Amino acid sequence: MNTKRHTLFAGTITCLLLAAASLQAASQMTTYAARSGSKMRIEGTSNIHDWQVESPFIGGLMEVGPGFPLEPGQAVTPGKVEAKAEVFIQVRSLKSIEKDGKPYSDKMDEIMWEHLKEPVHKRIVYHLTEMTLKEAPKAKDAPYVFDAKGDLAVAGVTNKIAMVVNVLPLADKKLEITGTVALKMTDFKVNPPAPKIALGLIKTGDDVKLIFKWIVGQRKLPAA
Amino acid sequence: MNENDSNALEYNRREFLKGGSVATLMTMLGGVELFAQTNAAPAGETKTPAVKINVAVIGLGAWGREIVNTLARMPQATPPIDAKIVSVCDTYQPFVTRTAKLAPGAAQTTDYKSILDNKDIKAVIVATPTHQHKEIVLAALKAGKHVYCEAPLAGSIEDAREIALAAKAARQLVFQSGLQMRSDPQRHFLLPFIRSGALGKTVLARAQSHKKTNWRTASSNPAQEKALNWRLSRATSLGLVGEIGSHQIDQAGWFLNALPTAVTGFGSLAFWKEDRDVPDTVQAVLEFPGDVRMIYDATLVNSFDGEYEMLYGSDAAVLMRDGKAWMFKEVDSPLLGWEVYADKLTFYKETGIALVAGKSKAPPANEQPKPAQDEPFTNTPLSFALGNFLRNSVDLDTAAEDYKASYGEDDLEGMMEHLSAVPRRAAASYLEGFHAVVTAVKANEAILGNKRIELKPEWYQLA
Repeated sequence: MNTKRHTLFAGTITCLLLAAASLQAASQMTTYAARSGSKMRIEGTSNIHDWQVESPFIGGLMEVGPGFPLEPGQAVTPGKVEAKAEVFIQVRSLKSIEKDGKPYSDKMDEIMWEHLKEPVHKRIVYHLTEMTLKEAPKAKDAPYVFDAKGDLAVAGVTNKIAMVVNVLPLADKKLEITGTVALKMTDFKVNPPAPKIALGLIKTGDDVKLIFKWIVGQRKLPAA
Repeated sequence: MNENDSNALEYNRREFLKGGSVATLMTMLGGVELFAQTNAAPAGETKTPAVKINVAVIGLGAWGREIVNTLARMPQATPPIDAKIVSVCDTYQPFVTRTAKLAPGAAQTTDYKSILDNKDIKAVIVATPTHQHKEIVLAALKAGKHVYCEAPLAGSIEDAREIALAAKAARQLVFQSGLQMRSDPQRHFLLPFIRSGALGKTVLARAQSHKKTNWRTASSNPAQEKALNWRLSRATSLGLVGEIGSHQIDQAGWFLNALPTAVTGFGSLAFWKEDRDVPDTVQAVLEFPGDVRMIYDATLVNSFDGEYEMLYGSDAAVLMRDGKAWMFKEVDSPLLGWEVYADKLTFYKETGIALVAGKSKAPPANEQPKPAQDEPFTNTPLSFALGNFLRNSVDLDTAAEDYKASYGEDDLEGMMEHLSAVPRRAAASYLEGFHAVVTAVKANEAILGNKRIELKPEWYQLA
């Protein structure tokens, strides 16, 4: 009887401790929201010339746990960290540009949006599912390098992707998250555009490279 | 014309007289026709326009109806725009009724405020009499509408300044002055050509507008007739140099990259004497830095030789008319670099150089070729100006929506900074519109007083 009572008591205490630990962990989660200064660039090829499109908008939220570097030079332990994020880009905000950054062609923009099925799928969405810190940075102003895994939805097709991302804590409780990932359009059932122009038929290559800089800032807590 | 058929290029006098076109004339004189590339959609690829916007037109005189006509053709423009004319407005009901055929489905009103109250209307085009612009434009900007205001912006420097300052303050809105040539790809094609010194030392600019018209609108109501004929009264009109010349004078300053420093004017009421105090024939000499003068000449009494603009340099002259341009080289002028890459055309006794989209040799491999088309250059400066206005308006609206969706609505200043950096298609700004009014007001003053006026730089300062 006494043994049973002790066991019940111990179990209750354990549950309470676990619940408390869970609550504490939740309270230590830090939420970041997208800030201006972000940029998504997509580079590709064609039989005539390389091309590039850019958007100044990367929206979304990111939530990170206690082991995540929030300040420059913060000591962290390599390994898996608690982090999740939902990131999006408005497809219509992607615009073709010249190498010098000047707008390229309205027609090319419209072709691109059409191939990305913009009327139906307004956003490209990335859902971060796992993040692992590879190693601590060797310098205070160097970024923290992570392996990131997640789901990328383009034109209504979702694929799992893995990439290396760099996280650089900035002033004002901001983070600069950068990375590059190579993809194939056809993996997302996007047919490489082949528009007709006066010079002939442009055939774009299947391979594209996504280069992003996502600026996030700590979200202000709502007033009590 | 088949460019590969050399026989077809050997004109004789009979063929010339039979053809009789300005283009033929210029070709015979040894003109080199200069074409801009277009951004036209490839044949057979016309699709639903990606750009949609609801617009209204306020002011439905002859030019307002031309604007409505042009907007109605926007779905067929290159690239197409789905410009839905939601409402048309004029205080003169017969104009409204007449316009209804051009804009079927559009609401008809004689009160512009009902347009400003309509939240579905994103952009308004103001083509009322010049002296009415200020009230409508200021109210439209306050109501959050993108505004295209016909040139001249106002009949006085003070009113133009108020409009320009309001437009400057409305950073989330597009304001475009109706100096339509500033949106014309043909002119943009010529601009670097001229600014790079291809004409040698520029010494002279010339522009003219010759028409045979009484400039009058008839009405059975005397009071209404007076209102309709606001152009004929000095109290409400900047005359020929303001209402027509401001476009051509602005273009000269744009190409010369300078504001005029002085203007001398002459005017006479030589023919249409009965019903007006505005001269029917005017000349103005505008002085620009670098000893360059522009001669402007306009009349409502004779239509010979119509309307065109010219620039003269020590190596060549350029004539711009009817959406085209020709270059006439001096015999001692040096070979221009681009001539090597251009197709050669032989006509009569001259060998000319054609700059036609897709006809020159391929550009260097490290340059991105434009999606150029062979389609004829048929769009008008007005359609380019309105098209750019509508696209700029849509771009700004979507940029604001995308900014809010991505970054929230807390950082208003950040959004405004972003909007100010959104690339704009070629369009005359509030400042250029203001500058044009300053020049027009002073040129008109010089014409009415038959005198020379030095144009002080501070007059062109907005604030």
